[in-house]
Amino acid sequence: MRDAYVVGAGQTDFGSFPDESYRSLFATAVEHALGSADGLTREDVDEAVVGTLGVGGRQLGLSGPAVTEHAGLSVPTTRVENACAASGYAVRNAVQAVKSGMADVVLAGGYEVMTDASGDATKYWLGVSGETEWERLTGATFAGTYAQMARAYLDEHDDATVEDLSRVAVKNHANGSQNPHAQLQFGCSLEDATEAATVADPLTLYHCCPTTDGAAAVLVASEDVVAESELDAARIAGVGAASDRVGLFERDTYTAIPASERAAEAAYEMAGVGPDDVDFAEVHDCFAIAELLAYEDLGFCGRGEAPELLREGVTDRDGDLPVNVSGGLKSKGHPIGATGAGQIVELWTQLTGRAGDRQLDDPDVGLAHNVGGSGGAAVVTILAAPRSEGQR
Amino acid sequence: MRVAGVGAYTPRFRLAGDAVADALGQFHARGVEAVAVPDADEDALTMAAEAAQRALDAAGVDPDAVDALHLASTSLPYDEEAGTGRLRSLLGLPENVASAQFGGSTDAGGAALAAALDGGGGADTVLVVASDAPQGADDEALGHAAGAGAGALVVARDGPGRVAGRASQTATYPGTRFRERGQTETTGLDVTSYDRQAYRETLAGAVGELDVSGVDAAALQAPDGDLPYRSAGALGVNPEAVAAGSVVEGVGDAGAASAFLGLADALREDDTDEVLLATYGSGAASHAFRLVCERDVPVRAALGSDQTLSFAAARRRRGDFDSGTPAGGGAYVSVPSYRRTLAARQRLVAGRCRACGALQFPPEGACPDCSATDGYEDAPLRRRGVVETATTISQGGAPPEFAAQQARSGEYASAIVAFGAQGGGDREVSVPLQVVLAGDDDTPGIRDEVVAVPRVLYDQEGVRRYGAKGLPADARRR
Repeated sequence: MRDAYVVGAGQTDFGSFPDESYRSLFATAVEHALGSADGLTREDVDEAVVGTLGVGGRQLGLSGPAVTEHAGLSVPTTRVENACAASGYAVRNAVQAVKSGMADVVLAGGYEVMTDASGDATKYWLGVSGETEWERLTGATFAGTYAQMARAYLDEHDDATVEDLSRVAVKNHANGSQNPHAQLQFGCSLEDATEAATVADPLTLYHCCPTTDGAAAVLVASEDVVAESELDAARIAGVGAASDRVGLFERDTYTAIPASERAAEAAYEMAGVGPDDVDFAEVHDCFAIAELLAYEDLGFCGRGEAPELLREGVTDRDGDLPVNVSGGLKSKGHPIGATGAGQIVELWTQLTGRAGDRQLDDPDVGLAHNVGGSGGAAVVTILAAPRSEGQR
Repeated sequence: MRVAGVGAYTPRFRLAGDAVADALGQFHARGVEAVAVPDADEDALTMAAEAAQRALDAAGVDPDAVDALHLASTSLPYDEEAGTGRLRSLLGLPENVASAQFGGSTDAGGAALAAALDGGGGADTVLVVASDAPQGADDEALGHAAGAGAGALVVARDGPGRVAGRASQTATYPGTRFRERGQTETTGLDVTSYDRQAYRETLAGAVGELDVSGVDAAALQAPDGDLPYRSAGALGVNPEAVAAGSVVEGVGDAGAASAFLGLADALREDDTDEVLLATYGSGAASHAFRLVCERDVPVRAALGSDQTLSFAAARRRRGDFDSGTPAGGGAYVSVPSYRRTLAARQRLVAGRCRACGALQFPPEGACPDCSATDGYEDAPLRRRGVVETATTISQGGAPPEFAAQQARSGEYASAIVAFGAQGGGDREVSVPLQVVLAGDDDTPGIRDEVVAVPRVLYDQEGVRRYGAKGLPADARRR
């Protein structure tokens, strides 16, 4: 099968935008993506794949065409729903379409508007990706389910502490404070994070990502399109996905996300690389515990070693393996359906040397890790920099 | 028909009369020191299930063996729709159980027992349950006295309790205690001498038919802690016997369950050989029973508690200070979907995969172990489990369908609890369970034990959903 490349990527700012609609946000992301891909126009796009959970209801049916038509893309559009992993999966579907030869250029993106609903409606929507008939009927919230994972992790690993959860927040806020697209552009101290109000024991407010409005879009093109162009093309070296039981209680472990492990394994195998080859990563840190689990699930360290990796600064932006230099979901924000595509935007931006003041030092391989719910779905995508491919 | 076992349950919270006097400047419930207060997720049906389960356990009767169910209450959640249907599923009684519901006045418990003794329609084993949580205005004695509780009797062909005599009376005394259609608070005209006469004469009409000279205890209808003693002489019993069959001082007016609670309390004493059980309800009607214990009648009763609430906390649990279930939607589990899962949800019935034999919960869909879709054999779980992980959902953070409960009861824990199958043997299964916290209860720790209890989950579209919740094992009263 032929190779697929990311040849353009763009996003809106992530935040709260009462003057914008889900459609206008998506259209802005499409504009930025097309604007980043020199020479590509709307007419070159063969197909679109759009991820959204549909928070607030809005256009639950036909939510794909509702945004692509508004953005001037009159192409076959498929909506992907895999909770917070919706647009990570949308990118994977785009890769499949290009690799199969059915399309040459596919726009993959996502959107979500989460900040315009009433407090009660928001609480309802934030829980819809938990297992509804059993888990949810214990009064569990999304934060509550991750809090159960954190509780189990802290119990299982004597060395791990609540401060380690706070260290995730401190690092990601430090990164996000440098990112003009980030929702929470401020730093926080270990003390701020640890002593903030408890949301679901042991998680405090700072251990939880915010609710966010935003959209992101990436352009996936075939090797044939890339060969005939001057596009900054980052090869999609590997993409892996996995599903699992939706409810945490239905899984054999509460201190790992098996779908992440399996998705990573598949992505590494396809890319022919291993965790040691990854130069930087955007991981799914919806709650602080999720970033610790990600280090272990993705093979960056062994079980129980994530706190140490973090404490030693390995995942800081100047460390050996920077994680969430964008600020992650924690600081950049988490517009559910846009998050996965937003991670690819960050990878492509860094791999093509477009990150400006935030630019990492010549990374060759970037990894994006996107999780749906508490681990019912996961997708891992590995991108290679143009220069590592022997291109310009 | 004989009495084979007795169960009783009162909620674990108490509101002291002194606290009411401090808050309202008045407390008119005579002879009442404290009243029982149901938690926000308890109602007459969950209390009925608690008492009935204890009665079955005491009598050593399997739910499958019950062939008639008599339920008495004046405060069921629905004016129309049989509560017996819900209670049947909470207890796991067979679907061919004959059922009857008694209400209309606090005499309902006696009426339910009388019908059981009449043969319960040819039944061999009748479960008689009286459960109530009356409510009244904050400026009326009836409101001050209002307590809560449930009592249950297993009436069977065999049993140590022989009903040596019984009688009933129906007199006509309007206006002593009534609740108009659609109202939640019961009231009365408060015509003191008339009210006392109605109670005394109606009860005496029934009790007078019996030889009560030898009773050790008189479990009398107790709307307060004064009337039973005031009427003792007219009923031919002494005050010591009334005291031996009374819990009203510490529980309050338990309505239709009142005399049943007194009976359970009396039977807990080893030297109780003969008890008068006498119910009374406004209107007026009464039923009296002379129970002779040929051997000790087994009892399981959770009657006492020292967990007190402030006046505000008690009224908060009643829902006085919140706006109910908020708009904005809740997790939508349709009623038919909910109904399909009742056995698992209410009684923790897991399943054994028909292909590989692995224990699974909930027992639905492909087997997680072998992926077979052959279905499951019922495998009831034990009631006591061990916490695998848990978190406390902070105040204000509950999903909309649990917002009212959290506003009323405070923070709760959402946990995953490992339960083994009854009969023991193989592995445990993981069950997601809300854990009810109270007072100073902390989030249950990993490896802590919890006990499954019947509670209200939430109301949606006017339909109440019941399910198992967890209670920290050390907060569980026998």
